Amino acid sequence: MAGKLLRMDRRVIFVLIALATLIPLLRPIGLPIRISPEVKQVYDYIESLPPGSVFLLSLDFDPASKPELYPMAVALLNHAFKRDLRVIGMTLWVTGTGMAEKVVSGIASEHGKRRGVDYTFLGYSPGGTNVIINMGQDLAAAFPTDHYGERTADLPVMRGVTSLRQVNYVVSLAAGTPGVESWYVYGKEKYGFELGGGVTAVIAPGLYPFLDTGQINGLIGGLRGAAEYEILVGLKGKAVAGMDAQSATHFIIIGLILLCNLFYFLTPRVGSRSVGRAQNRPGSPREAGR
Amino acid sequence: MILFLRRTFPLILTFLFGVAGALQYYIPHPVSEAALTEVSVWLRIILGFAMILGIASLCHVHYAKIRTRVAGWGYSLVVYLSMMITVVVGVWSRGQEEGTGFGWIYTYALLALQGTMFAMLGFFVASAAFRAFRARSKEAAVLLVAAILMMFGRVPLGEYLIPMAGPVAGWLLSVVNTAARRGILIGISLGGIAMSVKIIFGIERSYLGGRD
Repeated sequence: MAGKLLRMDRRVIFVLIALATLIPLLRPIGLPIRISPEVKQVYDYIESLPPGSVFLLSLDFDPASKPELYPMAVALLNHAFKRDLRVIGMTLWVTGTGMAEKVVSGIASEHGKRRGVDYTFLGYSPGGTNVIINMGQDLAAAFPTDHYGERTADLPVMRGVTSLRQVNYVVSLAAGTPGVESWYVYGKEKYGFELGGGVTAVIAPGLYPFLDTGQINGLIGGLRGAAEYEILVGLKGKAVAGMDAQSATHFIIIGLILLCNLFYFLTPRVGSRSVGRAQNRPGSPREAGR
Repeated sequence: MILFLRRTFPLILTFLFGVAGALQYYIPHPVSEAALTEVSVWLRIILGFAMILGIASLCHVHYAKIRTRVAGWGYSLVVYLSMMITVVVGVWSRGQEEGTGFGWIYTYALLALQGTMFAMLGFFVASAAFRAFRARSKEAAVLLVAAILMMFGRVPLGEYLIPMAGPVAGWLLSVVNTAARRGILIGISLGGIAMSVKIIFGIERSYLGGRD
């Protein structure tokens, strides 16, 4: 019996996960979300910036990471525009350009901000981490024009900003490299601006050493981090809505792991488990087939 | 002469730019800063050519698959067709997205396809967790317990049921995980420095293509 359950058709698991995602999205419970200190630190730093300070948001992700990082971008931009900061948007990922432009210009128009005066979107420039060095040396050389073809040096929003040295706060929303680490190594280290990060849940644990040493001053990790930031800015959006679904899927996975181990230990030790092990070893044809 | 151009000249260039790049960081003189500005522009231009090389390589690999009719060659044809359509529509739209065919491809094809691929991961992770996450050894058991604590403590339902779950997950991330990651980072950094020194001094030459 236990052996049979261990060999359960994976489509059953797929259906369980689909239901665990769909039902909470359709009928949300709205459980309270605790604010973690690393997310609060990003919020507090933006709160501490005086109006007119320069805030650079680098949207270093592609559509694959949209569910986690797009809500962060929405929450951060809302916060920055509420605080009347000068917002500069950009991306180091070519496939994220259209998406990044839409979120920056969309949130700006909701706040009645004028393009070129209160905000700009620089777009994408090839070169990965070299773009950061180039921006640190001469911002207008890295982006002679913004995404809309206006000369960067002539934009009122860029007044007094010739390099990254004049930027007050940079937040990189990253799904990989180039991302937060690149902004630290090639940017903050040399040009001295303050840096915060927003990343997918997969890469967030890798950035905790940077947080601990103050190399980044705050970290928004995954959908959970995005939901926390939405609560901080008082704007419950897609991240908060997704947290119930995440709760349910996590619990389904925990349940599956516990069941899997229970069945594993219930399976007779010498005979069938060793046979099952050989047949179901990861990568075996039988395992792949299921 | 050929040997000089193939081996000696790249080695000299690597040595000069490697040493100059390392020294530049510690000499913030205006001349040194101007040189860095210039080099950073060069690097971006060179990377632009690398992109062309990448596209050429992609075309070559998929052309070979189509020509030899290997299993799944149809997907290579899809790669070619999608790339050609995107390039033609992109050039036709002059790279503009707003209200153009290029924007339509981006929003309704690329965005949707990439989102779908990533969303499917959740289903496969759940299936893989059920099949493979077993306490076969002490180490696997430690990993298993840590994973369950993390999954429990990072969602509102977990914290609602056991209020201590959140702080425990936070402690795992900021103490245990940080200590392990820091060790890995130090190892990677030392390895990176050692490899850089080997490349600058011409001890590591595999980037030359393996010809002597």
